Amino acid sequence: MGAVTTTRQTAVAVDEDAQYLTFMLGGEMFAIGILGIKEIIEYGSLTVVPMMPAFVRGVINLRGAVVPVVDLSARFGRANSAITRRSCVIIIEASTEEGQAQDIGLLVDTVSAVQEIPSSQIEPPPSFGARIRSDFISGMAKVDGKFVIVLDVDNVLSIDEMSSLAEAGQAPALDLDPR
Amino acid sequence: MSINLDQALQTFIVEAHELLQVMEQSLLQLETEPADQDAIGAIFRAAHTIKGSAGLFGLNPVVSFTHIVEDVLDRLRDGSVAVDSRLIAVLLKCGDHMLELINVVASRGEPLQPAALEREAALREALSTYQAPHHTPDTGAQHTEAGAADRANAPAEVLWHISLRFGVDVFRNGMDPLSFLRYLETLGQITQVTTLTDSIPALDSWDPESCYLGFEIELRSTASHATLNEVFDFVRDDCDVHIDAIDEASDSAVSIGSELVAQAEQGPLTASVQRLPAASEPKTRDGNYVRVNADKLDELINLVGELVIASAGASLLARSCNNDPLQEATSTVSGLVEEILDGALHLRMIPIGDTFNRFRRVVRDISQELGKDIELTISGAETELDKTVVEKIGDPLMHLLRNAMDHGIESADARRAAGKAGKGHLSLNAYHDSGSIVIEIADDGNGLNRERILEKAQERGLVASGAVLSDQEIYNLIFEPGFSTAEAVTNLSGRGVGMDVVKRNITLLRGTVDLDSRPGQGTVVRIRLPLTLAIINGFLVGIDTSTYVIPLDMVQECIELDEHQRQSSREKGYLDLRGEVLPLVDLREHFSHEGSAGRRQNVVVVRYAEHKAGLVVDDLLGEFQTVIKPLGKLFGALRGISGSTILGSGAVALILDVPALLNQIVQLEARTPQAPYSPTVVAR
Repeated sequence: MGAVTTTRQTAVAVDEDAQYLTFMLGGEMFAIGILGIKEIIEYGSLTVVPMMPAFVRGVINLRGAVVPVVDLSARFGRANSAITRRSCVIIIEASTEEGQAQDIGLLVDTVSAVQEIPSSQIEPPPSFGARIRSDFISGMAKVDGKFVIVLDVDNVLSIDEMSSLAEAGQAPALDLDPR
Repeated sequence: MSINLDQALQTFIVEAHELLQVMEQSLLQLETEPADQDAIGAIFRAAHTIKGSAGLFGLNPVVSFTHIVEDVLDRLRDGSVAVDSRLIAVLLKCGDHMLELINVVASRGEPLQPAALEREAALREALSTYQAPHHTPDTGAQHTEAGAADRANAPAEVLWHISLRFGVDVFRNGMDPLSFLRYLETLGQITQVTTLTDSIPALDSWDPESCYLGFEIELRSTASHATLNEVFDFVRDDCDVHIDAIDEASDSAVSIGSELVAQAEQGPLTASVQRLPAASEPKTRDGNYVRVNADKLDELINLVGELVIASAGASLLARSCNNDPLQEATSTVSGLVEEILDGALHLRMIPIGDTFNRFRRVVRDISQELGKDIELTISGAETELDKTVVEKIGDPLMHLLRNAMDHGIESADARRAAGKAGKGHLSLNAYHDSGSIVIEIADDGNGLNRERILEKAQERGLVASGAVLSDQEIYNLIFEPGFSTAEAVTNLSGRGVGMDVVKRNITLLRGTVDLDSRPGQGTVVRIRLPLTLAIINGFLVGIDTSTYVIPLDMVQECIELDEHQRQSSREKGYLDLRGEVLPLVDLREHFSHEGSAGRRQNVVVVRYAEHKAGLVVDDLLGEFQTVIKPLGKLFGALRGISGSTILGSGAVALILDVPALLNQIVQLEARTPQAPYSPTVVAR
């Protein structure tokens, strides 16, 4: 996974015109590179999948495909986002370690804009102080004089990590072998 | 015009595989019936086609080896080499080698490995004893111009029956019927001609420019069917021509001729083919088939699945807007869509026969290897099931067959000592049974040793000592992991995989396997598989606002839970179902749905293997044919839910994995330290 991240970062560094989607979450602004984004849809009917960690909100029907929706706020260890009229699901193509692609929805409060952020405006992530895991952050971008956290989508939506978290959540049932 | 060679090569490889399979089957057939000319013909054609096509692609290693095989087969066909078991063994190995050649040379474009080349040399050596000393064109020299296809055919003289009905327009098209007869004479000797004049009309309606004649011709010729057929190429469009070989020994040619004439008098002239002995042309596999890439099919089926969902959504909308014509229209559409779905799913269905036939060779080889005489009987080969299932069932079946031959069927001496025929019987049978397919593997061997299995199971802690088990339960123990066949039932070598792998593979296909055995009489293994992997019949239940699907075949009954029962069941965790204790699982609680239960609750009684339980749900929503959508890796660790489906409303419903759910609950209960029987799941 590390290798993938590096290539992506170098690609961003080389490409001066990298575009980012900015969105709001719990009053804070975040950005993700638009290359992995497939579409943005309104938050609609969602089916809760039981026995999954809080950050897996459920699954939605995306034109016949069943797509899991991750609550970004819960993924950051905060409370589940409240659903408002402006809640959106950003559909992102994530990949597992075996290189299989899977679409994942990211639940956010509102999406703001698609912006070009020159790489000169992006600072390396701080080692602490951002209140979210540092490996989730790929950089701090300066937009309109404010800092915006640019997320490392590969780490935030690491299917392998999330599914092992889901497994850990089920752990009590696992080591239940009667013997 | 350029041909995509790559694509053509792929087609060749696929075809060659099929042809080799045909060849193998025919060889095995020949082993039982050495005089079967059809089988010899089929083998020859397979080799000949492979050689020809390989030549087109310049695959010289294939061509040169196949050429020798073809030579021997040619001699087999004209009777200068007799069929014996040694020849068949050699030819079977040749088939294997051709397969290897095609896999290595054609698919990968590599030269053969030295080991394979050695094998080839040995085979060439073996084949050379069957080859003619010199290539002597002793017969049919006058027909060399007929080309390779004819040379391939037997040069022996055949009595052909040609039944010829010229069309009315033959003269107008500038043809003279007699010229065809004259030309036929150059191909052989016409022994009899009967002119049919019965279609000549009365004089006043006779058109002098029309032809009303028909001929029944007997021709003794060395020419092949194809050559004779070519004679009539010019008039094929408006003529009725049937060319058949006559088996002189059995039927009197004259009687057939007159029979035909008699038939002709009665009217339609086309029936003649049925009366004559079957022509040598193969009619087996050349139906009207279109070769389609499986991916395209899958894509189509996916789309159709979505179409079903979309049309259900449209119907739902139509129903809500109170517009009768619209409702009618949508219901017509839904009906059609359902038919399309059935049709699309049928596209994926293939008969299991091909898989079964592959085992003939396996049985032959293994029985020789083991020194046992075993006969395989196949029935129900036309039973159809999903392609994916067919592909995945091969290995488990193979394992079961090997097991039956290795451990089940005794040696001929032991069999005779036990008063049975020396020849062991193994049968493979497939049939449809209430929405699933059942595959039976039966042997007439010694059966399982009940005591040994029980002993072993107790030794391994799979069964508590002193537990009372039915025979059935004991036999099914051999499917348990850790119950290795290698050390258990007999001392014969294990094969690395146990029966638990067989069971796991079958379970992965959503199938079940069980086993029945009678001491001294044999064992029957029954595999029950769903017809398709893509669709299940589900029973919809509602909890809160969510909908869940329970596979219908696990649902036994539904009961309403009234207020009184709810109270008592909530305290006890089980329900008195007609005097039977039915443990309850409150799905609302198990799945941690928020909010309190609705006013009414229902119990769905599900059964899987030895477990029976009641699932407490809010609403019963009825049956629904469900297109299964996998949930993906993110939910890989989720137990109790096997997949999802999309309802007509567009909402996603989760499919319950009842066996996993019940197991999980059994484990949860086992963990709770208190009382041995505690209704934790519900009363918590």
